Amino acid sequence: MESQPEIKVPIRLSTRDSSIRLTQDAGVLLVQTTLKRPQLSALVNNLLRPEEKPIPFDILVNGQFLKTTIDEFLTQNGISAETTLDVEYARAFVPPLNVSSFEHDDWVSAVDVWSGAQGSEKILSASYDGLLRVWNTSGDVLATSTPPNNGGRISCLKAARWISSTQAIAGGLDSTVRLYNFDEDTQTLSTALELYSHKWGIEDIAFNPSSNRILSASSDSTISIFSSNAKENPAAPANLLPNSTAAANKRQKQTKGPERSVPARGALSKLTGHTSPVSSAIFKPDDATVAYSASHDHSLKTWDLTTSTCVDTRTTAQSLLSLTALPQLNLLATGTSARHITLIDPRASATQISVMTLRGHKNAVVSLATDPASEYHLLSGSHDGTAMVWDVRSVRTSDVQGEGQIGESVYSIYRDSAAGKVSHAHGEGVKVFSVCWDKSVGIVSAGEDKKVQINRALGS
Amino acid sequence: MGPNPRKRKVVTRAAPEASDSGDELADGLLDGILSHSEDDSDQSQVEDDDSDASSVIEGLSDGDEEDEEDEEDESGFESEDGEQDIREQMRKLKTTDDPSKRTISLDNGADATADGELDEQDDSAKPNYTVTTDANGNPRYIYKEIDPVYDSDDSDAADVANTIGNIDLSYYDEYPHIGYDINGKRIMRPAKGDALDALLDSIDIPKGWTGLTDPATGKPLNLSAEELDVLKRVTRNEHLEDGYDPYPEMVHYFSGVKEIMPLSAAPEPKRRFVPSKHEAKRVMKIVKAIREGRIQPYKPPEEREEQDEQVHYDVWADEKPRSDNSMHLAAPKLPPPGYDASYHPPPEYLPDKDEEKAWLEADEEDREKEYLPRNHDALRKVPGYERFVKERFERSLDLYLAPRVRRNKLNIDPESLLPKLPNPEDLKPFPTTCAAIFRGQEGRVRSVSFDPRGIFVASGGDDGYVRIWEILTGRQVWNVKLSDEEAVDSVKWRPDAETSILAAAAGEDVYMIVPFTILSPDVEQASRDILDAGWGYAASKPSTTTNGETKEPPGKWSRPGSRLESKGVLVQTTVRSNVKTIHWHRKGDYFATVSPRGQSTAVAIHTLSKHLTQLPFRRLKGIAQTAQFHPSKAIFFVATKNSIRSYDLAKQELVKILQPGAKWISSIDVHPGGDNIIVGTYDKRLLWHDLDLSTKPYKTLRFHTAAIRAVRFHQGGLPLFADASDDGSMQIFHGKVVGDMMENATIVPLKVLKGHKVKSRLGVMDVDWHPREPWCVSAGADGTCRMWN
Repeated sequence: MESQPEIKVPIRLSTRDSSIRLTQDAGVLLVQTTLKRPQLSALVNNLLRPEEKPIPFDILVNGQFLKTTIDEFLTQNGISAETTLDVEYARAFVPPLNVSSFEHDDWVSAVDVWSGAQGSEKILSASYDGLLRVWNTSGDVLATSTPPNNGGRISCLKAARWISSTQAIAGGLDSTVRLYNFDEDTQTLSTALELYSHKWGIEDIAFNPSSNRILSASSDSTISIFSSNAKENPAAPANLLPNSTAAANKRQKQTKGPERSVPARGALSKLTGHTSPVSSAIFKPDDATVAYSASHDHSLKTWDLTTSTCVDTRTTAQSLLSLTALPQLNLLATGTSARHITLIDPRASATQISVMTLRGHKNAVVSLATDPASEYHLLSGSHDGTAMVWDVRSVRTSDVQGEGQIGESVYSIYRDSAAGKVSHAHGEGVKVFSVCWDKSVGIVSAGEDKKVQINRALGS
Repeated sequence: MGPNPRKRKVVTRAAPEASDSGDELADGLLDGILSHSEDDSDQSQVEDDDSDASSVIEGLSDGDEEDEEDEEDESGFESEDGEQDIREQMRKLKTTDDPSKRTISLDNGADATADGELDEQDDSAKPNYTVTTDANGNPRYIYKEIDPVYDSDDSDAADVANTIGNIDLSYYDEYPHIGYDINGKRIMRPAKGDALDALLDSIDIPKGWTGLTDPATGKPLNLSAEELDVLKRVTRNEHLEDGYDPYPEMVHYFSGVKEIMPLSAAPEPKRRFVPSKHEAKRVMKIVKAIREGRIQPYKPPEEREEQDEQVHYDVWADEKPRSDNSMHLAAPKLPPPGYDASYHPPPEYLPDKDEEKAWLEADEEDREKEYLPRNHDALRKVPGYERFVKERFERSLDLYLAPRVRRNKLNIDPESLLPKLPNPEDLKPFPTTCAAIFRGQEGRVRSVSFDPRGIFVASGGDDGYVRIWEILTGRQVWNVKLSDEEAVDSVKWRPDAETSILAAAAGEDVYMIVPFTILSPDVEQASRDILDAGWGYAASKPSTTTNGETKEPPGKWSRPGSRLESKGVLVQTTVRSNVKTIHWHRKGDYFATVSPRGQSTAVAIHTLSKHLTQLPFRRLKGIAQTAQFHPSKAIFFVATKNSIRSYDLAKQELVKILQPGAKWISSIDVHPGGDNIIVGTYDKRLLWHDLDLSTKPYKTLRFHTAAIRAVRFHQGGLPLFADASDDGSMQIFHGKVVGDMMENATIVPLKVLKGHKVKSRLGVMDVDWHPREPWCVSAGADGTCRMWN
């Protein structure tokens, strides 16, 4: 074996990242099959910019990350050493490590990060105890909202978003969207506006800063459009106010809360069309007049907000529980109850419903976020107690019809509170409810363990 | 037995003769009577004795009688003959002295046995003929006909012969007799004493005892000394006769001893001294043949040897291919040798050291190859094959022991015999994994129910609480304690998506709950309106009066008190005994409760809008288990312990009685189409009833190891159903019902869902399906609910 001659394989280097593209095409290179990722990464660095500090690269061969030597890769995939390999390189994904955790009193249902200037990031967390909290990155509570006076009803929050550095919106099981004002100096988080439109709990809210529009998706299978500007909204529907009924009014008086007068408003418009609870609604990233919504009724709908009509419906086979947009790829990622993420091309011209299926979660995927640094990375939070990072470049073709290509996760983030124990699929006690990915803060995830967990790639 | 029977015999013989005066009587009839009387007398004689013994005695006496009778028959016949003569003569002469004659004849008969000689003389002395006058008036001698039977030798008649013929004696095993003698009398089985007797007999072995029974007579077979001697000789391989000399001294008839006085004095003939011409002739013949070469006096030995060597017998030389007959089995051909059988195989065929060691260590029978490939540089270096003889022997043995008949094995793939079931993979979606665990209850969870919108799950259990949970997260969003002592046996959401009303049964009470904290004000108001509509109805229309006194209504509707009302429990209905199941009508105005202990009040139908409780059955056969409304028609199903009855509520009549053949029905569910019912039983079976087919189950599924507690169809259009069992598992089935009447329902087991722990022999208590999705939720005795998707 020692005397075996070195086998060389022809490769052709390419990348999808224009910042690290080779200035001149290197053509077909012959490399030894004993090489591994670090050597290939060094080779690319040498070709790219020999003088500077090397950047770690990930190497993808035929859409799969190279984790072994080329030789073993070829043997595993049954590829002849004589064919020219298409080798794609990309900035290496640095594994995010657990940095810190913020303790809550109850399950944390939603998390959002306001990325201001370096060091002034604010983390917003919504909890099942009905309170909204603002944290700084070192884990101090800057402000906590006061419990809402909603006539003794349940106040569990399900969704929360920053809409500016001083304002946040949140919604929950009491089917009211509330707009909070955050005052950093007095460290208060006060309710500024209550928006009534839904009959059942709020599942998700979205905000578009350019049009000041708020979208709220609800279990009553509708989506409501509000304006963050109170005066633009019409008056609140009387039958939905907490003191509208005799019994509720009586209760309202019995609860000895401070009598506050928070302005109540109604919805600008209501989008009806789904037949089941709407789990998620988002704006199209570059167009404030288009919204997408995902629902338990298996469909993903495209809405024209100016006319409040449904433009397009894409029906899948599972309940859709989360939604996010991958703007550069013109794709929508949606998490399903069938434990995978489906990438859907929302354009009307698309022939295939599912472009790609990302498999790896063991329970419903309830939250999705994109990598601010890379358009190919996707973050998902699932009830199985993990958050997973996906690279949509790492794919292989599926053998199941209609699934598109299949991807596998790049990295899994386990809950710190699970303490390395093998989590079950049902993820009891460690379910992840919400994830968020910020450039400077890193990966923020919240879950059933009453914690907000921050994972950050060190050195980045 | 000496003289007595004989005397009797004489008497009995005498009797028929008196009546015999007519010549030809109906023999059989009389015979029967006679024999009957004879038997009677016999029996009367021995009646006192033990029945066994009597039969024995009977048999024996019969045998004796037979002997004597036979003897007597001869004489009797003769006497009869004599009688006839006399009568004949009497008629002729018309001078009669009847009695005297008769006594003579009788005497004659009686003495006959004593001295046959005399008898014979008597016989011969009598005239053998009768004298009549012929047509001419001359005397005519009519000689008596010679009866060949009685003249023929009848010596062996003395033997008791069994006349049953060639019939297996075992047929008589059940009877006291073993056959019939020539007179049609039973040959009785000889006495068989008790076991003790047998033992004593066996100890006191008589001479010639064999222990065998003579099959013809049924008596013990004894052998005489002579016979024993013969047998002994036979076994010793000796000559049977005594004194037989197999090698007697040879008697020389013509001895070589020269007699002093020869018989013939003739001189020696000449031919004794002259060479024989005949011989010379023969010799010359041979000589001539040798000369002509016809006879070769000498054959060179080499040639013979060569010829011997040349002889080969090719057994198969003219073997023809035979037709493919099952009785012909060609010897299996040995496979041709492969490369590794070569003396110099290619290196890849040579075993390495490990393989060689493994081969050597392996048992001879386990070896894959019978030989070990070896490498030799040249053919001449190949040693002799040490296993040659053994191998040939084994081959021969194989051929010898090979089956002689070809067995046509049925080459059927067992899989192909199974009914074609679709692959579960193709029947997706169905629940496969546990998606959430709802923890927080104490004690068993007895009932779960999905709310009609599919957002919440309600559960009730032993701790008296009703709780409401978020489906996906498993978050408890609402609870109320209904009772301190009673468990919540059943919870069911009212089937209306616009309102939110939960019915829960604890003890004898059914509560209507509006969990307003999770409802928006308008939904709460709508729900309250529905519940409040019935207040005062009972007051405005007092219950029917019979005979002036008001009958106690079967259900009492009231407000449950401020503590519960402040939690949203708005209506309390009290019936007479513990309610175990609640089932809503599809429109949500009626609901049925079943209280198995309730006897006549077991099944109650409540009207929510009127706050009215009615008892549809005055009397119910069996213990009511559960009741259900038809999903589309006005039909009401009631399951008792082992049958299901369906009633038409509009016509108020019984429609059908289903007999699932179950020992104890635990729960039923009606398919949303209304034509099929699944039944879960405590005897571990899940039964599918097609109402159109028959009253017997269309399919019985028995996959659980413990009782089935709950069965449930998916109500939202998916062809799924589930059962919950005490073995801690649930099973998901695909149950597709086609509208076509010609096609039966397809039932495919899909998935076993395990997760609940078995606590005090109780596993999963209840199961319910999401109204639209293929999700189900189960209630466990371990205090948890689980959501499966």
